[in-house]
Amino acid sequence: MTQYTIRRLIAAIPVIVGVLIVTFVLARAIPGEPCTAMFGEKATPEVCEKFNRDKGLDKPIATQFLIFAKDMLRGDFGDSIRFKRSVSQILIERLPQTMELGMAALLIAVTVGIPLGIISATRRNSPADVATMIGANIGVSMPVFWLGLMLAYVFALLLKDTPFQLPPSGRLSAGVNSIPFYEVYNLQFTAGTFKASLFTFLSNFYIFNSIITANWTVLTDSIRHLILPAIALATIPLAIIARMTRSSMLEVLGQDYVRTAKAKGLKQRQVVMKHGFRNALLPIVTIVGLQLGLVLSGAILTETIFGLSGVGRSLYEAITARDYPIIQGFVVVIAVGYVLVNLIVDLSYAILDPRIHLD
Amino acid sequence: MKKNRFMLILGLLLIAALALTACTATSGDVQQAIEEVAPTLQAAATELAPTVQAAVEEIAPTVEAVATEMAPAAEEAAPAFEPMSLAAPDCEYGGLFKEIAALDELTVQFTMCAPDPAFPSKVAFTSFAIQPSEWLESTGGTGELLEHPVGTGPYMISAWNRGEEVQFTKNPNYWGNPAVAENLVFRWQAESAARLLELQSGTVDGIDNPGPDDFETITNDPNLQLLDRPALNIFYLGMNNTYAPFDNEKVRQAIAMGIDRQRIVDNFYPPGSEVASHFTPCSIPNGCAGEEWYEFDPEAARALLAEAGFPDGFTTTIEYRDVVRGYLPDPNIVAQDIQAQLAENLNITAEIVVTESGAFLARADAGELDGLYLLGWGADYPDMTNFLDYHFGAGSSPQFGDHFTDLTDVLAQAASLAGDDARAPLYEQANNLIKQHVPMVPVAHGGSGVAYLATVQNAHVSPLGNEAFASMDPGKDTFVWMQNAEPISLYCADETDGESLRACEQVTEALLAYEVGGTAVVPALATGCEPNEDLTVWTCTLREGVTFHDGSALDANDVVMTYVVQWDAANPLHTGNTGAFSYFSGLWGGFLNAPPSE
Amino acid sequence: MSSATEPAVPVAKLPPLDDAAAGDIGDFRANSLWRLTLRRLFRQRSAVIGAIMLGLLVFSAIFAPWIAPYDPEQVLIGKEDVRKRAAPCIHLLGCPADQPQHILGVDGNVRDQFSRIIYGTRVSLYVGFLTVSLAVIVGTLLGAVSGFLGGWMDNTVMRVLDVVLAFPFLLLAIAIVSVLGPGLTNAMLAIAIISIPIYARVTRASVLSVREMDFIEASRALGASNTQILFRRVLPNALPPLIVVATLGIATAILDTAALSFIGLGAQPPTPEWGSMLAIERNQVFSAPHLVIFPGLAIMFTVLAFNLLGDGLRDALDPRLVHGSGVAKE
Repeated sequence: MTQYTIRRLIAAIPVIVGVLIVTFVLARAIPGEPCTAMFGEKATPEVCEKFNRDKGLDKPIATQFLIFAKDMLRGDFGDSIRFKRSVSQILIERLPQTMELGMAALLIAVTVGIPLGIISATRRNSPADVATMIGANIGVSMPVFWLGLMLAYVFALLLKDTPFQLPPSGRLSAGVNSIPFYEVYNLQFTAGTFKASLFTFLSNFYIFNSIITANWTVLTDSIRHLILPAIALATIPLAIIARMTRSSMLEVLGQDYVRTAKAKGLKQRQVVMKHGFRNALLPIVTIVGLQLGLVLSGAILTETIFGLSGVGRSLYEAITARDYPIIQGFVVVIAVGYVLVNLIVDLSYAILDPRIHLD
Repeated sequence: MKKNRFMLILGLLLIAALALTACTATSGDVQQAIEEVAPTLQAAATELAPTVQAAVEEIAPTVEAVATEMAPAAEEAAPAFEPMSLAAPDCEYGGLFKEIAALDELTVQFTMCAPDPAFPSKVAFTSFAIQPSEWLESTGGTGELLEHPVGTGPYMISAWNRGEEVQFTKNPNYWGNPAVAENLVFRWQAESAARLLELQSGTVDGIDNPGPDDFETITNDPNLQLLDRPALNIFYLGMNNTYAPFDNEKVRQAIAMGIDRQRIVDNFYPPGSEVASHFTPCSIPNGCAGEEWYEFDPEAARALLAEAGFPDGFTTTIEYRDVVRGYLPDPNIVAQDIQAQLAENLNITAEIVVTESGAFLARADAGELDGLYLLGWGADYPDMTNFLDYHFGAGSSPQFGDHFTDLTDVLAQAASLAGDDARAPLYEQANNLIKQHVPMVPVAHGGSGVAYLATVQNAHVSPLGNEAFASMDPGKDTFVWMQNAEPISLYCADETDGESLRACEQVTEALLAYEVGGTAVVPALATGCEPNEDLTVWTCTLREGVTFHDGSALDANDVVMTYVVQWDAANPLHTGNTGAFSYFSGLWGGFLNAPPSE
Repeated sequence: MSSATEPAVPVAKLPPLDDAAAGDIGDFRANSLWRLTLRRLFRQRSAVIGAIMLGLLVFSAIFAPWIAPYDPEQVLIGKEDVRKRAAPCIHLLGCPADQPQHILGVDGNVRDQFSRIIYGTRVSLYVGFLTVSLAVIVGTLLGAVSGFLGGWMDNTVMRVLDVVLAFPFLLLAIAIVSVLGPGLTNAMLAIAIISIPIYARVTRASVLSVREMDFIEASRALGASNTQILFRRVLPNALPPLIVVATLGIATAILDTAALSFIGLGAQPPTPEWGSMLAIERNQVFSAPHLVIFPGLAIMFTVLAFNLLGDGLRDALDPRLVHGSGVAKE
């Protein structure tokens, strides 16, 4: 298994390099340049000339690529053109938000989707099954951006002044502040170390941070803000997971050994969970893993609609602003993440099903 | 097998290397950050030391920079004031400033290369807000300075949670009327619908730019109040006279007459907008001098078009960027209506082309837009030169094609005169020439609005987009404001977007200011700026006893330093966020020691 | 009866290279397979519903000029007494007869929304079919050639496709459209490009499973050339899974184009494309919700039609179904 992992990681290197090249080329191929994107009506040729010189954008493309490749090899993503801050710094700020949203969405999708799928499969053709499947079909057909708007409409406006009212945008209410855990517990660290970056990164997961600092106001507030975007983002994966669970459960429940188990007089619950679900897990895990890619795409739209400044929206804004270093850095991180998730999914096969030998 | 093992080792090595570089790189990044912050901290520490000695130390670098003799001042409690100054060798560099000099602790003198009647209006602009010279130096003109402006304003920055909000707290030592609300919070949300929803649900106290369609909803809601922001802008339909058929003046005039601008304003603009009778809004002195724009007359337009040789119309494009601006609140809808009108009234088939904002402006500036295009302009400061010279002056971009020499001559003459009355006949002439040549069709001065909760006392709106929240009373401790976007940085000398400028406006102040809710220039850090007779020397007297948020006192050197770092491109502090300092070059003509252009 | 076995092929996304999964189609004789499939298809309730929905869509696309009461691009300012973004007015439901009837209301440019939605069907179907056809043609060729030839060729192609798959698809689409310039054609092109890997993988999987079978050996022995074998013997066997994936792919393509239009990169006004209609009016979601709800519903209806049909097809074409449903029906 270790050998397999390593082999997969090596195989991923050319893919990552390919992603690097494609990102670099695509970013530069977009018409328009950072200067005009940034200064708008006020961008005069003199302003732009100086700007490009300062940012090294006046060098030939090939030179720019070499510089970029060299920096990347050192793990340096460079500085944002628009904000004059390091891209890693921006990632540390934004990535936790998207990860929190993505994880919440997947959590909803899995915890709701799998039970729904199991219930549908065990009570085939019951009203519950039919309803679930109709719902699932509609779920996969819904445009995320539309669903987001509708959710905001219902929960923020129609349900206004009821206990179900939910905030339509932002991460926290105005005036609610998440205090980083290292400040609460007065943890000392030298700024500039890996530890410092890690601590800032972790403290930007508001839910995690508020739990370990026992700050319940922030916890409830950030959860309330997370619900709508997470539901919007979870709908499609949820529907897909429910359908997948149902079908693989159906297939497994039809197998001989399940019938044998039933014939032995085992309880329905035991049969379903032990003989059925465990064996149906494999395709379900595959699907769950694949949804991660979908979640990232959805995050671009969800974050736009709910006014969250996570990775998805920042990336889209960076494309509009022609902020090459951000585009490059973010895409590379996402691609690496994607490769890793795929690997974990494949590795989990071997854990779930001892018959699978990866080597 | 051997090959496998080799691959394995190679892979392990690669991963280890990657991991190592990643770690060191991150730490390197932060290391750099510390290095940037360290001097700041030191500087702050020395500043806070309450002894006279510390105060002497504070001034020291400034003095060194000026490199003049320093009189021993040990006996006196206050350190001797060493006035700073910077002078251009001559006026050949193209800018307006000849010299900026501190005369004494509270007097600054600006010597100009040419008379500048708009001086007070320009000096009041947010980009020229004064920051302590020590702060500018200790930050190196960038880094911490971008996040944390040190001003004299009614609010101080307390935190900027990136992506979420900027928090301000009240400045207890403010020289003027202290802020009413203890805290101020800026949030942002790009969609107008979402902003309104936040306001309706009471999570924010005020929102910028509600959607045009929501004006009625807000007016009808007893919990909300709507304030119209006067239209200090222009939306126009652009053309370039170097491309056929727009090289024909008759074609341009036909388009000017063939578009029902009233219909556009009535249907797609919020209340408070006006059909543009002139390129410049009437609220700007001399803005409406001269004849009014053509009446809508489709028949006459068609006749003109036929006369020009296009009895059956022609095919062109309407190009624009999908960006909401005060002058164009609903670009897609307006573009489609103009498209429909051109087809109906003039038989002109226009294809809609939406171009990315940056690329669009670049094409406009380079004179590459060969069809019709939608663009506009918002006032930086309320003066005719800010509108006419920028678009039609001798130095303007070829966005409308070749310049009209009769127009450029008149504008040059007008810009050299002082006083609105003296310039009036020239601007009348200029406006008439614009009507005759039709370099573009002025369509509307777009009104926009600001909505507040009805409970907010003293709510107001600024035509220039810089609302002063210190004077508003939300009836609670915290005032929450929601605008369209996050500030880019808070060093507004080097920012151009209104969202950043508004945030700076709460914290920092310039020598003069625009009156709250208006455009008239009023005293701020200076009690006044007086010109000499021919308007070439302006002398500003600073207010006494003003302190910055860091506790240091405002003096003339802070003013000189603030200007000099922007003016002198060779100054080591001329860094900022982008280094462009576009408002400085735009309003004052150019930089000293600018690197030669290639 | 709703579908019995769900698929190894979820909507538009495939499990990672699992060569056998999509390919175990076996050697059915084409004729009977198709007949069998059709018969099975019509036993699928979801497929029938999907087919009916699709029929409705095709009908309104073809007969749009007769169904729509207005020209979709006709601005009604000055022509009718109707306000911009007016709410739906249906005479049968009590809307005063002296007001002009607009059953889905009027949009921001004072155009009849119902007519625009009807004409929008044309755009969406056109987008769906054309995008997927392009992706299927290129993807199939790539997959078939690389699977059939194997070796370095196979490796290279698959790695390149991996690169494409390593991007979140919407992001890549945004980048491609940004490069090509916004517009419906470019948006379609971008979506076609990003969906090529899916079809290439499906085809490659089928080809790999068929390549070593006896009947291919037999053809080769009979002197058939590589090209002949590929097009006559191998590809037909890859068709069933391709059809399923393509049908579901149309749904995704429509959804993605709408998403691109929503962020302003797809169809340009005044084209009545649902995604861009929704995008232009998205700020009116609270003041004129009908302008956001109806285009969204239209997108959902269309996507649902293809999804239902695709599901049905998959069940009908999947040979495991015989086994699966047989047991499950007991």
